[in-house]
Amino acid sequence: MKNDHKNHVIKMKKIPCIVLLYITALMSCNKTLDIDSSRVVGEKNMWNKLEDARAGILGVYALTRAALSDNDGHWLYGDVRTGEFISPNRQDLKALASNQLNASYPTIDALSDWTRFYAIVNAANIFLERIGDVKAADKRYTDNYLKVDVAQVRFLRAFTYFYMVRIWGDVPFVTASHDGKFENQPRENSNKILVWAQQEMLKAATDLPFVYSGNDVQQPGNYYNEDATRWGGALATKNSAYAVLAHLAAWQGNYADVATYTKFVEDNYGKSGINYQSTEDLTKSNGFFFNKNTSQMFGFDSDWGHIDGSVAGHLEELTLAEPVVNKKVPDIYIPKDTILKIFDQPKDERFSIDTLGQPRSERYFTNINGKYPIFSKIKVIQGGVSDPTFRYFTSALIFTRLEDIVLLRAEALAVLGDLTGAENEVTVVMTRRGITEIDFSQDIIDLIFKERHRELLGEGHRWYDLIRYNKIKQNNPVFLKLINSQGIYWPVSRKLISQNTLLTQNPFWK
Amino acid sequence: MRYLWLCLVVFAAITTCALTGLAKGNEGKKGKMKHAVFNNNVYARRDTVVKDSLLKDSINIIKRHTIYNKLTDSVSKKPYDLSKFPGVSLQQLLKGQFAGLYIQEPSGEPGSVQNMFIRGVPMPLLSPRDVYQSQPLVVLDGIPLVTEHPFAYDIQLYNYNRMGTATNPFADIDMNNIASVEVLKDLAATAIYGPRAVNGVIILTSKTPVAAKSVTFDSYVGLAQRPHVTTINGKYENAFRQRFYDLYTTNGRYSDDENYPIYLSDSLNNVYSGKSDWSDLYYRNAVVYGINFGISGGTDRANFRFSLGDLKNEGVADGTGLNRYSAMFNINMKPIKWLLFSAMVNANRVERQRNKYLRDRFAQINYFPDLSAPLPPNKDFYADYLEQYKKGFDNNKNNIIDGYAKIGIDLGKFKFVTTFNVDYNEGYRDVFYARTLLQGNSYASNYFGFSQRIMADNRATYDLTINKVHDFHFELGQSTQWDIYKYSNAYAYKGVNDYIKINLLVSNPKNPDGSDNPDYLNTTAFPRELTYRFLDKTKDNLVSFYAKTDYSFKGKYFLSATVRADGSSNAQPTSRWFYSPVLSAAWSIKKELLSNNTIISDLVLRASAGRLGRLNAFDNYAQGPQYTASVGYTGNLTVPGYNGFGVLTRPYSTGWVGYGIPWSYSNQLNLGTDASLLNNRLHLSVDWYLKQEKNLLIGIPAFAEYGYKQSIESGMAVNNTGIDVSISANIIQSRKFGWTSSLNLNHNANKLKALPRGLKQITIDNKLLKVGSPVDQYWLLTNDGIYKSESEIPVVNGQPLKYNGIALHAGDPRWRDINGDNVIDNNDKTLKGHSLPRISGGYDNIFRYGNWNLNVNLYFNLGRDLIHQEMANRFDFINREGNSDVNSVKEITFWEKRGDYSKYPLYNPWSTVIPYRVDQDLFLENASFLKLRTVSIGYDLTKAVRSKKIKLSRFYVYATANNVFTITPYTGQDPELVNYDGYDTGYGLPIPRTYTLGVKMEL
Repeated sequence: MKNDHKNHVIKMKKIPCIVLLYITALMSCNKTLDIDSSRVVGEKNMWNKLEDARAGILGVYALTRAALSDNDGHWLYGDVRTGEFISPNRQDLKALASNQLNASYPTIDALSDWTRFYAIVNAANIFLERIGDVKAADKRYTDNYLKVDVAQVRFLRAFTYFYMVRIWGDVPFVTASHDGKFENQPRENSNKILVWAQQEMLKAATDLPFVYSGNDVQQPGNYYNEDATRWGGALATKNSAYAVLAHLAAWQGNYADVATYTKFVEDNYGKSGINYQSTEDLTKSNGFFFNKNTSQMFGFDSDWGHIDGSVAGHLEELTLAEPVVNKKVPDIYIPKDTILKIFDQPKDERFSIDTLGQPRSERYFTNINGKYPIFSKIKVIQGGVSDPTFRYFTSALIFTRLEDIVLLRAEALAVLGDLTGAENEVTVVMTRRGITEIDFSQDIIDLIFKERHRELLGEGHRWYDLIRYNKIKQNNPVFLKLINSQGIYWPVSRKLISQNTLLTQNPFWK
Repeated sequence: MRYLWLCLVVFAAITTCALTGLAKGNEGKKGKMKHAVFNNNVYARRDTVVKDSLLKDSINIIKRHTIYNKLTDSVSKKPYDLSKFPGVSLQQLLKGQFAGLYIQEPSGEPGSVQNMFIRGVPMPLLSPRDVYQSQPLVVLDGIPLVTEHPFAYDIQLYNYNRMGTATNPFADIDMNNIASVEVLKDLAATAIYGPRAVNGVIILTSKTPVAAKSVTFDSYVGLAQRPHVTTINGKYENAFRQRFYDLYTTNGRYSDDENYPIYLSDSLNNVYSGKSDWSDLYYRNAVVYGINFGISGGTDRANFRFSLGDLKNEGVADGTGLNRYSAMFNINMKPIKWLLFSAMVNANRVERQRNKYLRDRFAQINYFPDLSAPLPPNKDFYADYLEQYKKGFDNNKNNIIDGYAKIGIDLGKFKFVTTFNVDYNEGYRDVFYARTLLQGNSYASNYFGFSQRIMADNRATYDLTINKVHDFHFELGQSTQWDIYKYSNAYAYKGVNDYIKINLLVSNPKNPDGSDNPDYLNTTAFPRELTYRFLDKTKDNLVSFYAKTDYSFKGKYFLSATVRADGSSNAQPTSRWFYSPVLSAAWSIKKELLSNNTIISDLVLRASAGRLGRLNAFDNYAQGPQYTASVGYTGNLTVPGYNGFGVLTRPYSTGWVGYGIPWSYSNQLNLGTDASLLNNRLHLSVDWYLKQEKNLLIGIPAFAEYGYKQSIESGMAVNNTGIDVSISANIIQSRKFGWTSSLNLNHNANKLKALPRGLKQITIDNKLLKVGSPVDQYWLLTNDGIYKSESEIPVVNGQPLKYNGIALHAGDPRWRDINGDNVIDNNDKTLKGHSLPRISGGYDNIFRYGNWNLNVNLYFNLGRDLIHQEMANRFDFINREGNSDVNSVKEITFWEKRGDYSKYPLYNPWSTVIPYRVDQDLFLENASFLKLRTVSIGYDLTKAVRSKKIKLSRFYVYATANNVFTITPYTGQDPELVNYDGYDTGYGLPIPRTYTLGVKMEL
């Protein structure tokens, strides 16, 4: 009995303990369950601060870089498809170079899939819809930030549509995020999209500054508290917009506009710190393509200092091999005969052979007499060095640069009949490459496109140049047939067609 | 607020119960502890005479009148027998032992990850995430063990292995410390373990301390036998390839730019074309041993058990192996009659030597060197490579600690137990690869990660008997689990030399003059720009309440009902809580109708039905629409931002997540019977089950025009139905000789019942999910041979038949136009084969003669198929040669001949239709098998050695042979060595034949 009593006492003490335990458990119940993810940012924690706006807008840039770099798409679409590059080992690239775009290789499947481009469009749409929230919530986010950011995002969105239209022709046209209420869209007429894109870019161009954090009247002060060196070459400027507008107009065949837009760039490039590149700067490993610089008129950097380089997603991944880097066989190369055909100008600093048949320089091509001549124009290895041991690249993906715009202007003037003007423009570029004796007896269009070929080789232009060239010349029935049968476009991924029943395959690839 | 009420109710119930107990006074019997101890002792003793069958235990439990076991389909197995198998992981020890528990062993590499599935797969296994979410819960002494969270895969380009040590989380169980293993399969048993138990539960109960002083010693030592393989050399491979060149080229080159690999073309090159004796260095006879030493002692009121263990398990291939050092401590204290304090700590150190696969190494370092020259088959050159490997290291260490502290209040009818559980599993992987291994670039990586579960658990029970016929058992429980998974990983390339093997950082935050050091935490030996650091953490909290009532009437009728409320931090705030009921019933026909029947010793019918929630493994689903840095691209996934700033975008590559995601759950129905016939000589247990998984999340490829790869939506439903059968018979039971034979098998069929939005089918990569079809099938073209000439190719509208828009040519496969639309495409693929067995199980025979006993254990899978991808890769050599990518990687085992080359037509390997693609039935093979898994023979020396001086309670010696043979129609390697998806890539290390000698002693 005594024992029992003792038990009771202890138990009585226990009960408050149990009560306490349960009340604590209860209080912590919701605290335990309402935890924010430490891996993603929920809607409620986004679009509240200036930093959210920065993360949002740079996200659109990053997605654009990702879309163009994915599977080295920018170069596979632009350079490899022409067939002048040969792949010794990669069956997928062989198929691509011979225009067998139905072949069932993962790379070709991926390149016919536009999802990654629509990620840019969607990110841009969300940004445009939500940036007002930041404006309302954070006083630091001024009217000027809003104006400049919106202009950049609209420009990138329009650029993306232009890029897609060049690849697929008609594509679905989406200009709102439709967040959570997604609807499948059919393909829209590509001409309509281009007209829209042109309008968008023009509007954006009026708001874009020439330079960021550089006391531009349209962007006073330090942009996101970083100085001009941080932003130079990384963001789209007014010149970027007019340069892309020129490309867009050329694609439309609207050469009067091309002339106007290129004139704007030629008159104003200095305001953005853009300049012509010497042949040496263009081709050295810590030159024009290294990291970022203001001369990169519109491009996407992979800065070594930001640990942004990578093994994949750079042209070097495809083109470089021994002796430039320690890889036996390049993924793609141009055979010697083709090189000699393209680089037929004596004294061309980029590439030319002397009277003994020896190359004057190894700027564009290394190992020219070997089994695989290495296309080494772009060779930004690691921190801009020539160390062959580690294939890690930091070259920027350049969409356009000043020489491109000058040649585009030459093309426009030639088409518009201003032959002297065209000759002057093309001379500007060629003399900088050491070609002093220019033979103007040949067709000026041929001359311009040959120079474009040499100057912009490996920069993702050649395929589109060929299309414009053939549209102007109208003398290659095979290519014209390809243009007219829409064979210049890519097939739409079968996966996309099975996801979205409103989509149709490009007729050429049915 | 309503949770507040719920909590109050629980609290009230407990106080009331406590008060009731108080009022009645403590008239309870002696503590239950002693009772349990006694029972355990009985078990241990009985083990020495090996004549029990698996069902005997449950019958015994039933005899002990615990209602719980009447209602459930649970099978328990004696660890005593299991511990004789020289395995490392729990999975290896349990394989083929329980009806309905299917275990995959994709590699014989000791300590590598193995998958378990109880009663089929609850969802299609598309990725390691799905495998993770399909695993059963393993509970050790009430501690639900954590496993490695698959979130680390998010930053991996290749998911061959999880980042980190990738060590099997269940390599920390020493069977010699375990008193019982029980597999709980239906809700009647699993419901109290909550949503983590939705895929079934494996209950491990450690040996309880005994008051009497006792010492146990268990040990085995053995040898894993080097496998016999056929090696080939460059000449052989060259001859193999030349047949294609002879057929499809005129001059030995398919095109002008054809690049034939030099290592094959040079037949005078002894490096490749000489002798192929690499296997001498790759395979070996390996040592395995295990030692466990345990002591137990104390008094009735305070006792303990302490054990130490050491295990070494060398693999036969590639220098793999595992060492485990373990310590386990159990303590019970009973300061006062009604209060029991007990605690347990199970601490393990697991060190693993991993394989040296090039693929895994390149995937780890995210870099593919020039692959134009593979490892040579010649021993001397291979030795050179191994020498380079030895300059670096690959250390994989895991420290696994689980433990509990428990306070039990036993007031007779009222009992209250509060438990605090901790499970902590940390892994370190430190890697250094010397420059010579990677074309002059060294690589260092340091990984630390942990999984941690802390759990507070309270339960109160109250037993009530009215008029000796109505038995009630009430139970209330509450638990909170806090899970944290975290890792930090840094890796760097190009160290200054091969002597500094770790990624040193500047460790002074301040300069000597007191200013901030700008280089703080920068790297010193590796370039800053080539150093990558990753950090990730996720939490997963779970709060649960349950109430359970058991009722039995005269021991004839049994009823039980459970109601649960579970709140998960990974559920969306709008549907944070999930409420689920479980009902079960049993009827003892024996007691009701057959009490005088002599043939039927026992006969019970059981039924259970109910629902249990299923947790989301990922916290991002709780967020709804969200932002992350999803801006990487092929070959460079981990792009953090742009221009040195972090970015936030929608999760385009992982998929759209919207609002309104409800809990997914599982409805389960179980009907079963246990019968014991002929004076308990024949036991039979049959269960039929139906498991309906509802509201599962699935990523539907959709919304590409909004940038998303997929849309993660709820609404997938998968059914599993099947039968578990366990039969065991004491066929001969004389004093001198005994023969017990037991068979367990499971027949399971799964079916996709619904997809979100009412979709009928979706295609995800090379898999088709079609409502009404099983989820474990392959989606394949039907291969009818070869088009020998252009004239054989059917002509459609004046054009040759096309595959996905490509015209077929001579030398292409004759794929069947299933839907008759005159084109070959994905619509001509059909669902074939099953990656999971229709029937799996084990067959065990125990023979006893005097003190001798012989055990023969067979393991089988029937109705299972696999894709022989290794063979497909060999034939598809054109697409797998000379590039710096994962497809061109050739392991040293490339020089091993596996499979039957003559089975396959000689297609034109250059064709852009990729004739040797794996998505055709050409490589589909029947992977059913029967394995003689264990033969063991033992002799009981107890009586012979026992004397007055030596108080010996058991002395048993034995010898085993394991993995003795496999009977299978499969032409490749072992049909077990396949990943969860059913593709035999050839990367599984062989499961060796192992011989051991062992002793089990108890003083």
